[in-house]
Amino acid sequence: MRLGAGLFVFLLLLARPALCEEEAKSLDLAYKTRAIGESHAVRGDSPFAAGIPLTPFGADRGRVEEEVRGRAGPVSLLLTGTYATQERAASTGRLVANELYTDFGSGENHFTLGKKILSGDVGYGFRPIDVLQREVRLQVLPPVLVGVPHVAWERFTADEAWSAFWTNPGEGRRSDPKRDGSFALRYYRRAEIADLHGIARASDRFGLEAGGAFSSVPHESVELHGSFLQMRRGERTAPLAETAPTQQLLNPGLALQTQDLDHPRKALGGFTFTRESGWSFIGELWWDGTAPTADQWRQLGAEARRRSALAALPGIPSAAVAGSLAASSTMFGVPSISRRSALAHLGWTDPGGNGWSANLDYLRTLEDGGYNVTAQITWEADRLRLDAGVRRFGGRSDSAYRLLPERSILFAGIALAF
Amino acid sequence: MCRFLALLLFVSTSAAAADIHELLKEADSYRLTTDAMRVETEVKVFKTGNLDKTRLYNVYVKPGRRSVVVMRSSAERGQKLLMLGDDFWLVLPSSQRPLRITPMQKLLGDASTGDIASLTWAEDYDGKVEGEKTIDGIPCLRLDITGQRKGVSYPRIVLFLAKSDRHPVYAELYVASDKLAKEAAFEMGTMDGRKVVTMMKLTDRLQRERVTEVHYLSRVPKALPDEYYNPAFLIRSDIEQ
Repeated sequence: MRLGAGLFVFLLLLARPALCEEEAKSLDLAYKTRAIGESHAVRGDSPFAAGIPLTPFGADRGRVEEEVRGRAGPVSLLLTGTYATQERAASTGRLVANELYTDFGSGENHFTLGKKILSGDVGYGFRPIDVLQREVRLQVLPPVLVGVPHVAWERFTADEAWSAFWTNPGEGRRSDPKRDGSFALRYYRRAEIADLHGIARASDRFGLEAGGAFSSVPHESVELHGSFLQMRRGERTAPLAETAPTQQLLNPGLALQTQDLDHPRKALGGFTFTRESGWSFIGELWWDGTAPTADQWRQLGAEARRRSALAALPGIPSAAVAGSLAASSTMFGVPSISRRSALAHLGWTDPGGNGWSANLDYLRTLEDGGYNVTAQITWEADRLRLDAGVRRFGGRSDSAYRLLPERSILFAGIALAF
Repeated sequence: MCRFLALLLFVSTSAAAADIHELLKEADSYRLTTDAMRVETEVKVFKTGNLDKTRLYNVYVKPGRRSVVVMRSSAERGQKLLMLGDDFWLVLPSSQRPLRITPMQKLLGDASTGDIASLTWAEDYDGKVEGEKTIDGIPCLRLDITGQRKGVSYPRIVLFLAKSDRHPVYAELYVASDKLAKEAAFEMGTMDGRKVVTMMKLTDRLQRERVTEVHYLSRVPKALPDEYYNPAFLIRSDIEQ
């Protein structure tokens, strides 16, 4: 950690002459304030019901975000201050530097130093080769992404780009894969008929991950895309074994296990179809070999029922049952909830430019028959943006989305730029 | 005799084609003063006569139908659009990655984006002179031109150029269904001692109460290196310096 920070400062000092060559610019900042409210409805018949008060499930919440974005001389920055409040939890406030970096260079060689958002890939609902930013997709009114500290050397021509990244310098394996130290090489080529992307990333946790993606526009209304990732190693969050003893079932620290996977794969294929009338449709199918299987979700549900049943036995503290149920429900926070999924996204933008747009997302988990459907409407004026919508979870009784201790989320947001 | 007539027809057709190309190049010169430049543009959208929206853009234009639009307004800060011929990429601040979009998606964005990113007719259109007409007291040539590429915002334009110096006076802009989408009126002024288009007023014919004014605030010769027009370069901040 110390070594990494030291190296970072050393590299920053090395970069100073290059930075000084940049034309000094005055402060150029834009501000945005955003307020978001969410009303979460619990699923009354959930097998996790006894543990819900100890979790964020079913808790109404709100947050106010203040965002500053722009440049201060050669430094680009994105700062957010967030005040968040949630039922059954203490209010929190935090200030985060989502981005704080400098880009410099000349000719074909360019460099980046600092913390910057590094999203990649071509998909809408799932992004197999987004191995640097690891953005969580399909969130309702998501918070601003937090960048990845890194050093990058990039080489550009008119049609090609090679980028070498050293992310989280000096870090090894951390609690979150995004914060792991890693080396990565990214390639981009603008070919005649498609954009081609390639990436290879090496980290302690996953070994080598390598993949590619393409995006092509064969017709003025149609875009096609696909993405594929092969990993040396992977991890999967899973419930306990069927034979787990009662003692283990009641231990919140052992409520779930992490399985090591050998050579898992991720893949996505999809298309976008847009009409002049303002309607658009995105269809995607994907596979995530690191997501839990349908059997594992069934097992999680069965264990939740076993835990709940234990509460009726003499000598079993209800707090222990609630705590273990709450701990096991964290499995719903995995990046992908199903190995095989299909997404249909119907969008409409008012072609008259009156600021109205609407979206309907239907995500189907093909292995267990669950669904997640979201409807959202947006209105944008000069500086004002209003969002409102609803998300509902459901499906077959043992599907992940049906087991989720929430039935629906109502959400609304207001944003003002100035 | 037949061979002679065919040759005459060929020569006259070629001459007409050359004429229209020269006319369009002359008209372009009032909007694009040098081959590569940065155009600072302010867009004002009016609804029922009231100012509804103001947007500020920096447009970096380079020969070969290349342009980068950097959105500068608070509400759009961080957005960039790249046009390379008929291909388009968009970067949104919420997800810093170049997103390949279809020409149709480009049209569904802020309606002004296509209008400000394309500053030339000569590279994109061909057609013929179809008579003359006086517009607001200015004797004009009437050109009926059609897009030669799939990425153009308006597949057909009826363009009126001043007979005296070929500056653009008025245009009718048609969408793919050949419906009249907008009428454009060009306001001329002087910038750096040169006669240029300082404002383009677009009156929407599909949304009756909508008027867009595109003000060209400054034109500065600036040739960004070729690699800046690489879609992967869009996420770098160098482009805004």
